Amino acid sequence: MLKTRKEMPTQVSHKKRTFLYKINSTKIVSLFLLSLGSIALTFSIIYASSVLAFIGLGLVFWGAITLYITPEKYVKQILLDSTIIPSLTNLNLILTELGYQGKAIYLPPKYLKDFETSKVYISKDKNTSLPTPEQIQEYENRLLVRNTQGISQGILLTPPGTRLMKLFEKTLKTSFTKMNLEHLQQKLPKLFIEDLEIAEDLEIQIINSSVQSIQIKNNSISIRITNSIYKDIHKEAEKLSHICCTIGCPICSAIACAMVKTIGKPITIERTQTSEDGKVIEAYYEIIDEN
Amino acid sequence: MNFPLSFWDISLWLAFTAIILLITSEIISPFYGKTKILINKKRLRNVALVMGIIFLITMVIRIYGIITSI
Repeated sequence: MLKTRKEMPTQVSHKKRTFLYKINSTKIVSLFLLSLGSIALTFSIIYASSVLAFIGLGLVFWGAITLYITPEKYVKQILLDSTIIPSLTNLNLILTELGYQGKAIYLPPKYLKDFETSKVYISKDKNTSLPTPEQIQEYENRLLVRNTQGISQGILLTPPGTRLMKLFEKTLKTSFTKMNLEHLQQKLPKLFIEDLEIAEDLEIQIINSSVQSIQIKNNSISIRITNSIYKDIHKEAEKLSHICCTIGCPICSAIACAMVKTIGKPITIERTQTSEDGKVIEAYYEIIDEN
Repeated sequence: MNFPLSFWDISLWLAFTAIILLITSEIISPFYGKTKILINKKRLRNVALVMGIIFLITMVIRIYGIITSI
């Protein structure tokens, strides 16, 4: 009995706090404006007053507007940086300790059983060829890819930009596998600048291009991101040898995941560079020819 | 017990509101010093455009009325 008595006030205060949290100050103001406007409109009809009608109309309108335009939840950018950097540092440390020296290769859907996932392969030694799709598929849900003797020859990781790439697909309401490179070149800047407000500008350049809608003969793609919200993370990632020039920071990784699904060929992040003020990030991707 | 504003009054009010909202949505900064009042810029612009379209519809109705009255 005593226990229940003690718990009761805590539950009530928690519910009260949750209720207050849900109806924040902006909502209170907008509801107040709405009700005041409705009263003014009612009185304007009763007393046939155009002044009251205008006041009522204005109040109802602004009440509705404030309710409609403020449901987005924003968090400070510093929280984003603080959450991501430790996991990138850990990933870098694991790769350094395990001694995986190869370049991170983003794998296209044909290498995976589940087409919706993204994986990156890092070989044990430098200049080792990429295993066959069948070999990768065998070890898809594992960390280490082993050869016939059971010796680890590479590692399969989920890239840091996978979820971000999924968010891109969700926002675009399509899968990158259904797009071609020209489509991607058109859609990504709008997505970055207007839809998700990730960056102020994004340019995608196809180097040595001879694209004929489906058949891609180009082998290098460069991107230039201006004033991205990930610029501080990218700057921090540059200090991590395995992250910056191989797997890439979350934003470069997300673009690589999107490209790999679009092109259908393995991709590596060749190099990245940042401007002196840190505002412009440039990343160069190399398309690997499997033949 | 009639609503005191005429169709023309509402149309004028719509025009003013649409202009104010459009200007606000264009000049508003996406970065906020204080984050107590948060504004979704895209939604604000959508509202402004909808108001503008409603105003244009009222104008079409008005013009149609003038043409048919001749």
